[in-house]
Amino acid sequence: MAMPSFLEEDTTLIDVNRDDPSSSSEGGGSDGDDKSILAHEIESKKPPTYSRFTQQELPACKPIITPKLVIVSFTLIGFLFIPIGKTALSASNNVVEIAKRYDMECIPEIYSNNILHYIQSVGTNKTCTVKFTVPKHMKGPVFIYYQLTNFYQNYRKMSYGVPLRSRIKDTKYMGSRSDRQLTSKAYEGAELEKCEPLEKVGEEPIVPCGLVAWSMFNDTYSFSVKDKALIVNKTNIAWESDKETRFGSDVYPKNFQTGDVIGGAKLNSSIPLSEQEDLMVWMRTATLRNFRKLYGRIDVDLEANDEIAVEIQNNYNSYGYGGEKLLVLSTTSAFGGQNKFLGVAYLTVGGFCFFFAIIFAIIYHFKRREIGDTAYLSWNRNPVGYYMK
Amino acid sequence: MDSQNPCEGEISLNQWKGGNSVREVRHGSRGGDLEMLGLSQKEIGDDDARLVYLNEPVKSNERYEFSGNSIRTSKYSAFSFLPRNLFRQFHRVAYIYFLIIAVLNQLPQLAVFGRGASIMPLAFVLSVTAVKDAYEDWRRHRSDRVENNRLAWVLVDDQFQQKKWKDIQVGEIIRIQTNETLPCDMVLLSTSEPTGVAYVQTVNLDGESNLKTRYAKQETLPRIPEKEMINGLIKCERPNRNIYGFQANMEIEGKRLSLGPSNILLRGCELKNTAWAIGVAVYCGRETKAMLNSSGASSKRSQLETLMNFETIILSVFLIVLCSIVSICAAVWLRRRRDELDILPFYRRKDFAHGDPKDFNYYGWGLEIFFTFLMSVIVFQIMIPISLYISMELVRVGQAYFMIRDMILYDEDSNSRFQCRSLNINEDLGQIKYVFSDKTGTLTENKMEFQRASIWGVDYSDGRTSSQNDPVQGSKIDGKILQPKMKVKVDPQLLELSRRGKDTKGAKNVHDFFLALAACNTIVPLVVDDRLDSTVKLLDYQGESPDEQALAYAAAAYGFMLTERTSGHIIISIQGERQRFNVLGLHEFDSDRKRMSVILGCPDKTVKVFVKGADTSMFSVIDRSLNTNIIHATEAHLQTYSSMGLRTLVIGIRELNNSEFEQWHLEFEAASTAIIGRAALLRKVASNVENSLTILGASAIEDKLQQGVPEAIESLRTAGIKVWVLTGDKQETAISIGYSSKLLTSKMTSIIINSNSKESSRKSLEDALVASKKLMIVSGTTHNTGPSDEAAVNPVALIIDGTSLVYILDSELEEQLFELASRCSVVLCCRVAPLQKAGIVSLVKNRTRDMTLSIGDGANDVSMIQMADVGVGISGREGQQAVMASDFAMGQFRFLVPLLLVHGHWNYQRMGYMILYNFYRNAVFVLILFWYVLFTSFSLTTAITEWSSMLYSIIYTALPTIVVGILDKDLSRRTLLKYPQLYGAGHRREAYNSKLFWLTMIDTLWQSVAVFFIPLYAYWASTIDGSSIGDLWTLAVVILVNLHLAMDIIRWSWISHAVIWGSIIATFICVIIIDSVPIFAGYWAIFHVAKTELFWLCLLAIVAAALIPRFVVKFLYQYYSPCDIQIAREAEKFGSPRESPNTKIETNPILGSPHG
Repeated sequence: MAMPSFLEEDTTLIDVNRDDPSSSSEGGGSDGDDKSILAHEIESKKPPTYSRFTQQELPACKPIITPKLVIVSFTLIGFLFIPIGKTALSASNNVVEIAKRYDMECIPEIYSNNILHYIQSVGTNKTCTVKFTVPKHMKGPVFIYYQLTNFYQNYRKMSYGVPLRSRIKDTKYMGSRSDRQLTSKAYEGAELEKCEPLEKVGEEPIVPCGLVAWSMFNDTYSFSVKDKALIVNKTNIAWESDKETRFGSDVYPKNFQTGDVIGGAKLNSSIPLSEQEDLMVWMRTATLRNFRKLYGRIDVDLEANDEIAVEIQNNYNSYGYGGEKLLVLSTTSAFGGQNKFLGVAYLTVGGFCFFFAIIFAIIYHFKRREIGDTAYLSWNRNPVGYYMK
Repeated sequence: MDSQNPCEGEISLNQWKGGNSVREVRHGSRGGDLEMLGLSQKEIGDDDARLVYLNEPVKSNERYEFSGNSIRTSKYSAFSFLPRNLFRQFHRVAYIYFLIIAVLNQLPQLAVFGRGASIMPLAFVLSVTAVKDAYEDWRRHRSDRVENNRLAWVLVDDQFQQKKWKDIQVGEIIRIQTNETLPCDMVLLSTSEPTGVAYVQTVNLDGESNLKTRYAKQETLPRIPEKEMINGLIKCERPNRNIYGFQANMEIEGKRLSLGPSNILLRGCELKNTAWAIGVAVYCGRETKAMLNSSGASSKRSQLETLMNFETIILSVFLIVLCSIVSICAAVWLRRRRDELDILPFYRRKDFAHGDPKDFNYYGWGLEIFFTFLMSVIVFQIMIPISLYISMELVRVGQAYFMIRDMILYDEDSNSRFQCRSLNINEDLGQIKYVFSDKTGTLTENKMEFQRASIWGVDYSDGRTSSQNDPVQGSKIDGKILQPKMKVKVDPQLLELSRRGKDTKGAKNVHDFFLALAACNTIVPLVVDDRLDSTVKLLDYQGESPDEQALAYAAAAYGFMLTERTSGHIIISIQGERQRFNVLGLHEFDSDRKRMSVILGCPDKTVKVFVKGADTSMFSVIDRSLNTNIIHATEAHLQTYSSMGLRTLVIGIRELNNSEFEQWHLEFEAASTAIIGRAALLRKVASNVENSLTILGASAIEDKLQQGVPEAIESLRTAGIKVWVLTGDKQETAISIGYSSKLLTSKMTSIIINSNSKESSRKSLEDALVASKKLMIVSGTTHNTGPSDEAAVNPVALIIDGTSLVYILDSELEEQLFELASRCSVVLCCRVAPLQKAGIVSLVKNRTRDMTLSIGDGANDVSMIQMADVGVGISGREGQQAVMASDFAMGQFRFLVPLLLVHGHWNYQRMGYMILYNFYRNAVFVLILFWYVLFTSFSLTTAITEWSSMLYSIIYTALPTIVVGILDKDLSRRTLLKYPQLYGAGHRREAYNSKLFWLTMIDTLWQSVAVFFIPLYAYWASTIDGSSIGDLWTLAVVILVNLHLAMDIIRWSWISHAVIWGSIIATFICVIIIDSVPIFAGYWAIFHVAKTELFWLCLLAIVAAALIPRFVVKFLYQYYSPCDIQIAREAEKFGSPRESPNTKIETNPILGSPHG
């Protein structure tokens, strides 16, 4: 036989042929008469019925990017963005902001080599006075912020280390707190494990528990202009929602800051949490390692060249981690505080749009292609070997 | 499929009968069995055999090794569902990755997300699939129950009693009535027919609706089980899945009979045209051949997905890089602060509260870094877009839905819809470069029509009239006129001759010719009532080969009506006179001999052998010394016929004298009872008798081209698809069909290779290569550079025959053949066997990355359909085997054009874009998380809440990409069909390639920077808290990715609007809900931050800054370097200035033929 190998294979082939059709009758993974849903659908012998949907002919709009459209829309974006940018920029420029770093200034000379001792001791006098001049008229209300740097309030720290605890919750520094505990007295003992190691004293729960509350900022400021004290309004510095819902009016601080290491502020245990606005502000953890938090408001205007004296209780230990402390007074605008970024960003985007619009217009003027001209189709261009280039 | 054609079809035909459908009825197993005894025992050793004692189920199954007849197609029980379903689902690597991440997150050291949030996506996906599986399994349970509780008549205590199917046991004797379904595989013992024949329909098994004949052994035939005990032993092979083979022997009353596939009835078949049949169960339940065949089919994977896997690996590398950066930075940070860690207010390593200050939550430097790495894997997990796999599946289901519902793909003639049998390779349809097509039944209709005849050197072809006007007289049954079901046009001159009887020499030849046509086949005539005319009975010729049917109908039209066939005789009504012919032997077609023969004992006591077969095989067995000029004339006619594209068969006859017959008979007996090599022995016997034939003439059958085939082929070629036709037909026939189907055109230069040795093949190939190169130089272009080459240059067609391929395939010549073939725009392979078809497909498939598609309709195409990247079956007249093996099935060849050019194009464009978009969507989110991590001293804090992280790919952004993947259309159907060249986009991989991937990744990087840093600097040194800015980032990224998608949507229907804007609104709602839970840290943040102008200005700035670069690049690219699709899209919308304005847009549905 001239083709033995072929013939042999031929016979095996037949088996393959014969086996497979019925095996593939299984279709989508099932058997016999019971094919997968889709296969079942197929079996129906009815002709498909017409609908615009099934024939994929739903009415539709088919936008096409044409040069004119691009030039017009870029111009429009430019016209929209540049005024916004200018407004934002001027709003930022109108904001008067005084930022005064005081952490090093407030260390007495004698402790300059032993800062940690100074700040950690209970007995040392931590009062210090800082003075600065108002550069421009500041229209009230003037917001008072404290600013901390290098404080990673967004740090994710594993909050406890017992392996495979039954209830595992959030585990950041940000999460070292029990939000449930704060809402109502009934939940005082709720979700304490999230707060470890600052969850209990003996068997009593700490309220508020956790690293976040424990590390609360506790410098205080009092302001005076020309020896006349300025009233600092510390109400309504926290969110309404926090006061109403999140911090319970029947929850009182308990066992707070009683451990060996004091992290920061102590709370008056006779005032319910719903009135502890400083705590609420602190508990809104910041986005970045450097952040500002609202301290209070001065509701009167500050005149230019006023010299303001601030008496600071420099309690908070930012020295242990190399952070700075700043006191910030700032007016505000519709776009927040003093920040040129957004204005610049808008001007840039708007500028680019104008730029592109002009460039496109020029290019379009000199080099254009007829939209939809089928002569540009690859097989219509230069019939002999367009692809040779 | 060309069943009658020597090369192609015989395999199936032959196989079904197993090559040994021996008509033993008359000369039945008399002596042969004894001598075969030793052999058969060797064949089925006792170890391998299954012993079935007739009517003794208990004894048969002494060792309880045979399964009962209850079946279970369901995969799970109520208890095993959960574990087994999960096990099955986790076969996907992506899910395991998902699971590992979720498990990692359960470790407290690594817990990044809450437990619920981290499990949710996986649980969601798993449960959706599980519910679907459970529903399907429930349906299977239900159908199993119905099936198992069906009733059958089983012999119990010498009486047939009804028994449930599930209680049937091996060895029991079962009686089946007509139209009943067989409950198990059984050996036929006796039937209502005196000859022991039973007809079965195997439509449930292999989809073929023709009746198959099965035979009971003569020895068991007369027994009536109720009255006399049948004792016997069947020794058969172990259960196997070959439904076309069965080997066994039966010992009954000391006699040993051999059993073959023609003696067994398989579960699932239906008994037809037989009042009853009795058999003994040999295989039950899951051991039946039908059940053994119901295991899973091999699945294909789309090329796009394969490519995508590579990019997935790149993304994994990105992921590892990101995680490494984070852990290295974390290491440096910890190192630099190692002295401060004890009491850092935000770190607090030491726990002073409980006695001795201990390290609290500190695992040491190394472990901290390691944990940081693992945590970052968890945080950045969606860098690998797991949702993409699920989305892709959903999109494919949607695409399949639209393909199935497409009215253009519905075939009215065969009433068949498009079928999507494989859901993994929709998008491959958009990249097909090679189409391998069967000819018969695929390009042609496979409705055979007898056209011409050459009898005794005379060509009869003129003046054809319909036989309808002239009913054949005298053939009556029950007083009713018998008519063939199908009318054939007849040649009056020939009709006249055929009626003249045998008086003249010419008339005698005509008589023998038509006798051969009527007798030399395996047609089973069925008598059915005519619905219109009650006085007429119609004769329906059931057979597996349309050629045979056509010939039998033709013979009937000329007055040679086959009216009855049993295994022992046939009755042919010759001009109204019923004549009985004893069928002494029948040698079926096989692809080796390429002919079949029947040995008839005629009423005049002569024994004649009638042979019909392919011309090549016939001329070698025709006695050339006789009637030389007749032979020459016939050869000339054959030439004419095949050049007209007709299928030809040559018919020969020889009268056997007594000694010849006796000799043949002995050999035949011996061969047909052999078990080893039965087929080969029979073939040998056949070729001994099929020689020294006298030529009678030749027949020519027309196989009409299917509607729209030339246009379809032209479209495909314009689209840059190479169409190869692989046929079993003769070269002349193939070429003429090639011309009529516009595969070959007069402009083409054809290279023909016919060789019969390896050396000559080599030489022809070399010559052809040189010739083709020369042609290309002449036409002045390089040939392989673009899709437009076929249109541009003088194309070359290669015509090669099966014999040459035998020497070329599987040898070193393959390479040359491929080189040559790839230069040719058309390749026509004739005389190829099924396996060669697969060989040719693999020749191309293994050498290029181009996609191949095979299309065919018959069993002989199965191997090629399975071999190709995409297999398409034509659900035509010839069984379902091709359809069963295919990935897609449809009614007509021309549907290939809308399938590939329209649906394939859409699917590819959609899927390609969807993959890129999903990569982008997840990467941009991960990068935003990553940037933030750099600002949290690498502690993997996420500003975006864990719930938003998890919902991001489930709710916030999932639906739009799926809907766009299903619905978006880059071009209308009309445009795609008008410019088939647009299909080239798929060939050039325009929708998805690594350049696009990297561009997308650069864009992703920029967009993530814009999203992250604009709010960061806008809120720099402000009182903003983490939750508020987190909400801003969440909303910004969701709006951004949805607008990004919106920018790329081409057709905006109301659904697109709904999902895009709906997703953005849904995101706002979700964020509001999340921020309304008091115990979440972000309580009320969104309300607080959304009150400020800064928030909205940031959103606006982010969207503008992030999208402008993409928009600019997109515009410049589209306007100054437009791709074809872009131009066509513009032309579709605005109309091309160079064309008449009425071809503007698709305004009304195109319902007719795409070419009409």
